[in-house]
Amino acid sequence: MAATDQPLSAPSLNVGAAAPGRSNLAKQQRLWGWIFLSPWIIGFAAFTAIPILASFIFTFTNFSLNTGEPITFAGLDNWLRLLSDPIAHQTLGVTIKFALIAVPVGIVVPLGLAAMLNAKSLWGKRIWRPLFYLPYMVPAISGIFIWQSFLNGNTGWLNRMLRGIGIVDPPNWLQDEGFILGAFMLMGLWGVGNAMLTMLATMQGVPTELYEAADVDGAGPARKFRSITLPMISPVIFYNLVLSVIGLMQYFVVPYVITRGTGNPNNSAYFFNMFLYKTAFTNFNMGYGSTLAWFLFLIALGLTIILFSTSRRWVYYASGDS
Amino acid sequence: MSRKAVYLLSIVALLALVIMPVSAQAPVTITWFVGLGTGSNSEQIEVQNQVVADFNAAHDDIELVINIAASNETARDTLSTLLAAGTPPDIVGPVGVAGSNAFADQWMDIAPLVESSGFDTSVFDQALVDLYRTESGGLSGLPFAVYPAITYYNTDLFDEAELAYPPSEFGAPYVWADGTEAPWNYDTVAELAKILTVDANGNDATSPDFDPTAVEQYGINFQWARLRLIWTNLQPSTYFTEGDTLTVPEEWVQATQWYWDRLWVDHTAPNTTAGASETFQPNAFASGNLGMSIVPLWFTCCLDNSIGNFNWNIAPVPASFDGEQHVAMDADTFRIVAASANPEAAFTVLTYLVTEAAPALGSVYGAYPALPAAQPQWVETISARYSPDIAWNVASDSLAYSNPGPVHHESNVPNYTQAYDREFALLTLIEGDSGADMDIAAEIATFESDMNAIISGQ
Amino acid sequence: MAAAAQPITRQNQAVNTSPFYSKQLRKFAAAAMVTMFTLIVAMVYLLPFGNMAMIAIKSEDQITGSTEGLILPMSPETFEYDGELHEIYEVPMPDGTIRELALVDPGRSSSDFVDPANPDAGLIPWEGSWRTLSPVMFFEPHFENFGEAWRLIDFPRIFGNTLVIAIGGMIGTIMSSICVAYAFARFPIPGKNILFIVLIGTIILPSQVTLIPTYAFFSSIGWTNTMLPLIVPHFFANAYNVFLLRQFFMTLPRELDEAAMIDGAGPFRVLISVIIPQSYAAIISVGLFHFIFAWNDFFGPLLYLLGNQQQWPISIAVQQFNFQYGPQPQLIQATSLMAMVLPLLIFFLAQKIFMRGVVITGVEK
Repeated sequence: MAATDQPLSAPSLNVGAAAPGRSNLAKQQRLWGWIFLSPWIIGFAAFTAIPILASFIFTFTNFSLNTGEPITFAGLDNWLRLLSDPIAHQTLGVTIKFALIAVPVGIVVPLGLAAMLNAKSLWGKRIWRPLFYLPYMVPAISGIFIWQSFLNGNTGWLNRMLRGIGIVDPPNWLQDEGFILGAFMLMGLWGVGNAMLTMLATMQGVPTELYEAADVDGAGPARKFRSITLPMISPVIFYNLVLSVIGLMQYFVVPYVITRGTGNPNNSAYFFNMFLYKTAFTNFNMGYGSTLAWFLFLIALGLTIILFSTSRRWVYYASGDS
Repeated sequence: MSRKAVYLLSIVALLALVIMPVSAQAPVTITWFVGLGTGSNSEQIEVQNQVVADFNAAHDDIELVINIAASNETARDTLSTLLAAGTPPDIVGPVGVAGSNAFADQWMDIAPLVESSGFDTSVFDQALVDLYRTESGGLSGLPFAVYPAITYYNTDLFDEAELAYPPSEFGAPYVWADGTEAPWNYDTVAELAKILTVDANGNDATSPDFDPTAVEQYGINFQWARLRLIWTNLQPSTYFTEGDTLTVPEEWVQATQWYWDRLWVDHTAPNTTAGASETFQPNAFASGNLGMSIVPLWFTCCLDNSIGNFNWNIAPVPASFDGEQHVAMDADTFRIVAASANPEAAFTVLTYLVTEAAPALGSVYGAYPALPAAQPQWVETISARYSPDIAWNVASDSLAYSNPGPVHHESNVPNYTQAYDREFALLTLIEGDSGADMDIAAEIATFESDMNAIISGQ
Repeated sequence: MAAAAQPITRQNQAVNTSPFYSKQLRKFAAAAMVTMFTLIVAMVYLLPFGNMAMIAIKSEDQITGSTEGLILPMSPETFEYDGELHEIYEVPMPDGTIRELALVDPGRSSSDFVDPANPDAGLIPWEGSWRTLSPVMFFEPHFENFGEAWRLIDFPRIFGNTLVIAIGGMIGTIMSSICVAYAFARFPIPGKNILFIVLIGTIILPSQVTLIPTYAFFSSIGWTNTMLPLIVPHFFANAYNVFLLRQFFMTLPRELDEAAMIDGAGPFRVLISVIIPQSYAAIISVGLFHFIFAWNDFFGPLLYLLGNQQQWPISIAVQQFNFQYGPQPQLIQATSLMAMVLPLLIFFLAQKIFMRGVVITGVEK
């Protein structure tokens, strides 16, 4: 650490001293910024921008996937329909309800696992880390297949265990309105590998001096976790938070496969993205499907922007940026 | 922008230039899309590839290319994408009536091609050709495979219960153990199902000690059947539409009640949870733990795991509520996509698939060939695969009782896929736990009003 | 300073705590407890995985036959009588003994058995429901499922295809995402925040609605039925990876960058010799995430390689065992397990590297 102390003040001196060169330097820096950014800008222009723009244009049309008819302009019809569509509102409700439980769990569980695997006294870390990451590698088809069997009300392992510990009438997870979102949550716990890994990797990068200094102050493990670990890994927590909000707004594959596309029982598992998908590909109404997608986009974008603006208050970047 | 961008753009352009002429120089390419129906398991893929290779070896001017959407769940999206992106396949199939209706506006009328090529449709049974007549007098396909609904039954389970087997001839009665005869209808099936449903203690569903929560063997199901097929098995009918109200016919309300009684009163048909439990994998009949299953003939595609495990046989479907024999029949064919750039070449491939390739494809699809010339070979192949003791005559006998087009269980309604989806939602409601205390009349009323909205396009 | 801090701490503890051996003991107990706890959590967490592994070594008969629902791959003992195989059960006899007999003719209230030890003695009638009897079973795992799956889907070829798609994209996404994340983390680009939101926006829009225009685009440049649409776009960075790397780069103090710049290093040099060495953990995570994504991606390859069976990856091949009317769960799971070996191995090796990466960061600070 001592070695880096010296140059710390030097660049600021340098920049401050050369006032005429400063704007030149800034210009050069900007140019370099654009150069490093260029792969994304090119890719965005080549692969992403046109489809996105096209889908936005679809929202003002009655583009159907099944009729051979040409696409016609429909004005704001799709958007107006959205405002008064009870299914859109209901499915959005299910999506938000699920996100409200799943987002916190999706942060706390991997954080807990990462802390556990980061514990100084844990033996055999090399073995545990891959084991906890393992489920994330299971291909979706096999995973859903397994969970469906695992959660079966009659013969599933979970209910057999629950009966084993004396619960006579365990829930029929995938058939019960009150439990199906819980069942999805359980399945979701299997997907926390990435979040756990990013948190774990960042935790291991927290400088040990900070903990040693806290030891000197007599801080306990809980306190060290709260005032050192959490702030130091907050950029990664923030990353996972944003991604899990975005991911949950688009939650689709698991409920679609498990409920065979129906969202039953009683629409309790009918997620917004399922509705969107069915509108576009079952009902072939790509115009309205795109409108639903853009509506979801606006909501998720709003949430993302809110998260970004609050991040200034709680995310700590060692580089001093915000 | 940066130099990097220029390089990359030129690479993209170059690649495009290199790849495009290659496809332009080839002989006429005909693309065959598989996946809407059967055709995506490993054994079928192998046979299909061979069929394609054989075709290409015999034709210099046409190159047949097969596209397999290897998953039933995503095949429809894939086809939609191909169509909407302006890169349609030329031929789609095997595809049933439902799959065809889903893409109702996409098929070419092949009547002019039949005319111009001089193809002789009299090689098929005329009634089967007429299945593909459109309202405007056109022709949407050629007959390829038919799959009449039949009763599959597990003979071991009948033996264990000391029950006589269902009749193997149409019109024959069912003979009870005491020698009394009963008509082979759904009342008899309901009674048989009770005796064939057994719990873990060995009590059957006629016993007062029967425990419906621990059933190890069920009596009856309609494996994979969609709602309208179940209804049609029990009594062929059709929705009534008058003005803008759609009505579910009284027979189908009764049929709903009949099926619901098996699920939730007698507990002789597996509900969703039971069907998905380990005891009944990979499906209830193939697990060897189901007495009778009413399924179209294509189920013979996938009963190989019964070999050496349990014995089964087939019987005609029971007589419907009206006391008559009616057979619901699935029919697969290949269709030419209206947007095909090479209809003549596509038609050449189509005729090849429904005639020369029919025996090979038919046996791997479990299909009864529509081509009479191929039928004896089918019996031979399937007997060798399963057993010559199975009453294969039921398959051909069933054709005479098949439902006419208007009461086909997949007959078209406007906005077909949406309607299909809504019917499926009602079925999952009936079979799921929520079905146990459903109000059938109320649910059908809701169903009717939803279907109205769908059919009138709201 | 770091070096100086250590002895002080140790001294402190030595003063404040009990004798040396008791401290060792306590450390040992703590480690044992933490490890025990981890073991329990792991067991619960991996339970469904155990279910998966068990299915992979069952035969089709074990999944569907009379031993279905058992956790381990068990097979019933059978005995051949009159040319047919019959399962053996533990039968309580009227005299109070329990005999192992083969069930020849099952019936509802009485069944006929035969004694495998003495078949010539003929049928032994027994009153009661045979369903209440327990079958005699033996443990019989079917590791040949792996071989069968391997053979049926031409595993080496599809494995190679999957590897090409996964590694190609991984290289692309690592290179491009590092550059773009570096731009976002360190350079004063005007409108940077808006650009960043645009970047994130590309993953917010549900992909179902961009599918058709995207496909139409790739089709128009002749890339369909090739692996290009599955690899090339990753050379242009994506939001997930850029976001993660940016977050990581922003936790790095600027002092080292600035020191390097004073020494005359340009921005590229700073990236290569200052930023990247400090970020191995994040970079390897990005590579790993992409690898696993590409390894399991299903719909992309299905659509873009529709007419090109020779280039199908594992994720599509597995679907052949998932045929709706005749699924073969044991082959699905066996294939999936085989498919997971390589990512797991990569993870196992990668963790060594990124632990070392972290050490470097720690020392230099």
